[in-house]
Amino acid sequence: MIGSPDVVAFTKEDDFGELFSDPLSLPEEFSVPLFNHAAHANPWTKTSYAKFSKDFILISEFSEQVGPQPLLTIPSDPKVCGTFDLNYFSLRIMSVDYQASFVGHPPGSNYPKLNFVEDSKVVLGDSKEGAFAYVHHLTLYDLEARGFVRPFCMAYISADERKIMQQFQEMSSQFSKASECLKMGNRKAFANELEKKLKDLEYTRSVLHKEAELQKTNSGCYSTQAIEKANELANVEKSIYEHKDLLRQITSYPSRKRKDMDFVQCEMEKATEISAVDDTLTCNSDNAVKSVETESDNRKSTYTPQFIKAKSAKCFDKRLKTLEELCETNFFHQTLEQLNLVEKSFRGDLSFIYTSQINRALLTKQRVTSFLFEAESDWIDETSKNFKVSSNTPPIPILNLSGELMNLESYTTSVDVDHIKQSGESSEVPAESSTSDITQETSEAADTETKGSFSSEKSIETFGSVSPSNLQSNYFEGLERSKVSTTSSYEDQKVGKMSPHRTSEGSPAEVFGNGHLVPMDSACCIGQDGFIYEEPTPEIAQECCGDTVVNQEPLSLLHGDPVLQMDYILEDSTLLGSPNKGLMFSELNTSVLSEEAARINIEDVSDSTSYMSTSTSSDRAASPFTYGSVLTLRQKKKAGHNALRFIRQYPFAHQAIFCLLSGRTLVILGSDEGTVRKLVNALLIYVPNLGKYGETVQPWLSTPFQLTDLQRWKLIGLQRAFSPAGSSILHSLNRYSRYISILDCDNKTLRCPPYKGILINHMADHRTQIKRGSTYFLHVQSLLTQLTAKAFLYTFCHHIHLPMDMNDQGSVTSRRTNFLLQLGCTVEESKIVQYLSELIKTHCIQGHLKGVNKSFFSFDYTTSYLYKI
Amino acid sequence: MSAACPPQSPAVAKTEVLVDDWCPMLAATFAYWDNILGPRVRHIWAPRGQGFSLLCDGEVTFLANHTLNGEILRSAECGAVDVKFFVLAEKGVIIVSLIFDGELKGDKNTCALSIILPQSELSFYLPLHTVCVERLKHIIRKGRICMQKGYNIISVLSSEIVPIMELLTSMKKHSVPEEVDIKDTVLNDDDIGDSCHEDFLHKAISSHLQTCGCSMVVGSNPEKVNKIVLTLCLFLTPAERKCSRLCHPDGLFKYDTGLFVQGLLKDSTGSFVLPYRQVLYSPYPTTHIDVDINTVKQMPPCHEHMYHQRRYMRSELSALWRAASEDDISPDNLINAQDTFTPDLNIFQDVMHRDTLVKSFIDEVFLLKPGLSLRSVYLSHFLLLLNRKALTLLRYIEDETQKGKKTFRSLRNLKTDLDLTVEGDLNIILAMAEKLRAGLHSFVFGKSFLTSMQERDLLMSF
Repeated sequence: MIGSPDVVAFTKEDDFGELFSDPLSLPEEFSVPLFNHAAHANPWTKTSYAKFSKDFILISEFSEQVGPQPLLTIPSDPKVCGTFDLNYFSLRIMSVDYQASFVGHPPGSNYPKLNFVEDSKVVLGDSKEGAFAYVHHLTLYDLEARGFVRPFCMAYISADERKIMQQFQEMSSQFSKASECLKMGNRKAFANELEKKLKDLEYTRSVLHKEAELQKTNSGCYSTQAIEKANELANVEKSIYEHKDLLRQITSYPSRKRKDMDFVQCEMEKATEISAVDDTLTCNSDNAVKSVETESDNRKSTYTPQFIKAKSAKCFDKRLKTLEELCETNFFHQTLEQLNLVEKSFRGDLSFIYTSQINRALLTKQRVTSFLFEAESDWIDETSKNFKVSSNTPPIPILNLSGELMNLESYTTSVDVDHIKQSGESSEVPAESSTSDITQETSEAADTETKGSFSSEKSIETFGSVSPSNLQSNYFEGLERSKVSTTSSYEDQKVGKMSPHRTSEGSPAEVFGNGHLVPMDSACCIGQDGFIYEEPTPEIAQECCGDTVVNQEPLSLLHGDPVLQMDYILEDSTLLGSPNKGLMFSELNTSVLSEEAARINIEDVSDSTSYMSTSTSSDRAASPFTYGSVLTLRQKKKAGHNALRFIRQYPFAHQAIFCLLSGRTLVILGSDEGTVRKLVNALLIYVPNLGKYGETVQPWLSTPFQLTDLQRWKLIGLQRAFSPAGSSILHSLNRYSRYISILDCDNKTLRCPPYKGILINHMADHRTQIKRGSTYFLHVQSLLTQLTAKAFLYTFCHHIHLPMDMNDQGSVTSRRTNFLLQLGCTVEESKIVQYLSELIKTHCIQGHLKGVNKSFFSFDYTTSYLYKI
Repeated sequence: MSAACPPQSPAVAKTEVLVDDWCPMLAATFAYWDNILGPRVRHIWAPRGQGFSLLCDGEVTFLANHTLNGEILRSAECGAVDVKFFVLAEKGVIIVSLIFDGELKGDKNTCALSIILPQSELSFYLPLHTVCVERLKHIIRKGRICMQKGYNIISVLSSEIVPIMELLTSMKKHSVPEEVDIKDTVLNDDDIGDSCHEDFLHKAISSHLQTCGCSMVVGSNPEKVNKIVLTLCLFLTPAERKCSRLCHPDGLFKYDTGLFVQGLLKDSTGSFVLPYRQVLYSPYPTTHIDVDINTVKQMPPCHEHMYHQRRYMRSELSALWRAASEDDISPDNLINAQDTFTPDLNIFQDVMHRDTLVKSFIDEVFLLKPGLSLRSVYLSHFLLLLNRKALTLLRYIEDETQKGKKTFRSLRNLKTDLDLTVEGDLNIILAMAEKLRAGLHSFVFGKSFLTSMQERDLLMSF
């Protein structure tokens, strides 16, 4: 039935693109165009014939005096509406009463009845005008209006019909909020108005009563005037009764409607006020009158009742209340705010809005990796947004040594338990020595001892607040920690030595033994032996260190010392015996940090690090982007522009990006602050785990940086100064040059390890024809997504990380290498994937500590090359 | 005597439609604006035997009249069909109205074809809105010709109203859920190839993505069919899934135009009748997957599909226009009315363009342990990648052409810059971008349609 392709049938003599010469004379008005778009049209032109430049919101009213009329637009700039005829469109959308239900005197009833009509929603369009609208009809109450009702509508007007239908539910929900806000204010205003009217009527009644009494007394009999007065009085009495009934009705507004989720209060912070108002209104009528009275005491005390004449002003003589008067100013402004938000949230192209919604939903499923390259707002803050896309986050399982699968969440919970325990233990022994001091001493000692004794290819250390490699050991092996944590006293002692807060001795060797450098589990260390450096958080460091000046290299090179090597082996075996113990280090500190603390940490980093050097606070306090504020996707997109310029200007962009992606700190050195900051801005989009506030980037530093900074900052802008301070900066550069890459923007050189591969070539092709920074950012984002997926796969492919037995680390390493090769990664790309994988593991363990900087420091000694333009 | 009395309002004609199950549609109406009497309802269609109904005929008439209110101001071009959508909370209904002009009794009238559903079905209906509207639009085109010629429009409209009722009825019970559990799909197999051959799975997913997520899965075993349906639905958005249908275990469903994925059973003889017209009227090209013989065939890309679709529509309308009498306007008669109408039965072709995106995904996803959420998370990575690539491609073209002001001439650069040099990859991403920006294929390939076909012909001959 379905045969092989036969294309000849399609390639008839009629030329594609030319007018189809239909032999049948079907009039064009009954036909369908052969092409989606007319001759000079394209997928973007369908909106071009609209007479307005962008979407806007229109509020219209069906005025009983002048008919349908536009009231206001959002945005209010008249340029937005252009030549679009608002009057005509108002007429079109308000010409039909879609809420047709009875208001006024119902048959058989003597008193007017208020109907609490529900809002109607209509989508309609004017294909000729190229305008389509979501129209939200609502009715407000006005004592002066015919039937006490004033019909209004709020319309979202767009040239894109598809946008309105696709976003219908979201739009409907947002406009319902705005409508409910207006209606709440209106009910309050209406009740107040009724109350005033009642006062007037009561005052009128008393005046009329007095006059009638007076006339009766004067004439002594029922004169015509007296009879008229009596009728008038009776009318007033009736009116009072009617108004009281109306007040009772408005104050007994059905509570179910208020509780409906669709009718959410306008703004959270104002919700209390609103509900208070409504609660007041929903009391029984007698009480309600009193409550309203109480509530508006001040106003009432100033209100003087007026005498109401028998005949009110004619319909066209009176001035109708404005929308603001109908709803009270507060509620009116809240509604406008809400509508402004609506306008902003639906602004722009549908394709972008739609993909953002889909992506956001997808990102919520990827919390385990989203922190790497995504703006946090996309996967955390906005997950509560209801875009009718499921956002359930499946738990990620992990393996323990026995290969049994466990849920990671339960795993982290058990980690927590251990943390608490460890914290309790450590708090018993006050820290007596400065951890940062120790760090510096040990590092310098190491440097002195082993300088130049390492092969350039051999990697040495992994520094981290929590060692990911160690985590990995815990990750796959340590699920029985709860058992292990009750190990023998000997093991406890050993592990205790590794704890950063247990030591009181300060000699370098002891320091090493004390666990600031602990052996990594080689099974989990990707192709390298090494140590774990546990860096205390700055706060703790500050407490402990006072103003100690750091002047020593890390202890990395102690690796070469056979004595210490022995020690290392011992420690290693201890660690293997008790894998859980090595996990706790920095979490002792970080677990107490809240997100706010993390933010403050960024802002006050100068304080916490000031002991280290003579750096100025402004330098170190400088936040990468907007001081202390959340880094947004918009900022990242803007950075895309600089990034595009960067890759076009610098042929060695690949290498720079490689450094950032593989976790090697890149220092941008320059004398001009603007240039350096621009470059930092350009490169920040490639920095993994950038942090909510861009914590891992230091855009401008005019003092020497420290080793600890390399753990925190992965991208540093550094001032080149020709002064004593400048020389110390250069000194620090030289000192740590093996751990960092240096981009000299004055001399246009880059010193870093080489990169070979295709992934970054796609990301940073200087011949790219991409024209805009935002498009380039999207391109980078998609490649980073690809990379993240690879890292996820590498991390969670359990079988490649599991040793056959405890001594089978070699095969694990080779399995990992082969696995990465299978994924098509070169050696350098493997490093990137491995680094990202380590970050993921760290995040899995510490993920629940929101806002805590989860960066760690790992590097290997690879030969660096100098690249020039 | 009779002159003294006002003319009696004629009773509204009503057709009761027999549907198998509970139909979410309350009624369909055809109303028009009578130049003397105002809005009038001409015909009502309602599902039969639905028991308790929300609306009586009077209310239906009231609502139908309402759809035309305000249309006196209508200033649309002749032949235009405007869509109105109402959510009337006071009445507890939603109404979809298609407003158009037509000639009745020699007068130009504004008409409305509407369907009415309970408000509680809003979220059920919204994903199906486009399907219903597009199908109704085409029947209105035919209806307008009938009106012009003085033929009975009701029978023409019935030919689409009834299937739409049936569609909504079937979707109520057999639509794919918004969230598909990966455990119900092939992606939960221990190893690739457990349920189906590796290459078949790759081809199926790849082609499914190349045809904008639009596929029909055919087979004899309903479980097998539905497993593939659910697997393909993993690659759709939740709204698209709600616009997809599982196969009926008794094989009661026929192909329905406009659904994204649908499962269909072969009859007892193992054959399956492919409705050419319906497949061609689908908004996107379709992939045909036969799970019995593991074959995957696909329709040509969007721009070619649209071209064929429009040409077929025009031919159909022309045939209707030329019909000499009302008897000649049955679908069968229309098809046989002229030579140029002969459908091309070879519209499904082999999947020729292999890709790397799906290939590597399939290879890699099975490396992860099944039965956990790992594969599901990995799938979300893959979908995120596709979405981002599609948006990047769209922006790239927008930048290059200044939003369509200039012709797009740099497909080669695009492929290199966005790492889409493999043809299958490009097709997948273009198809996704097409869903974001309708008409993108036609814009990108434009007049090269013929060339692309010739190229394909040449390539296939090797």
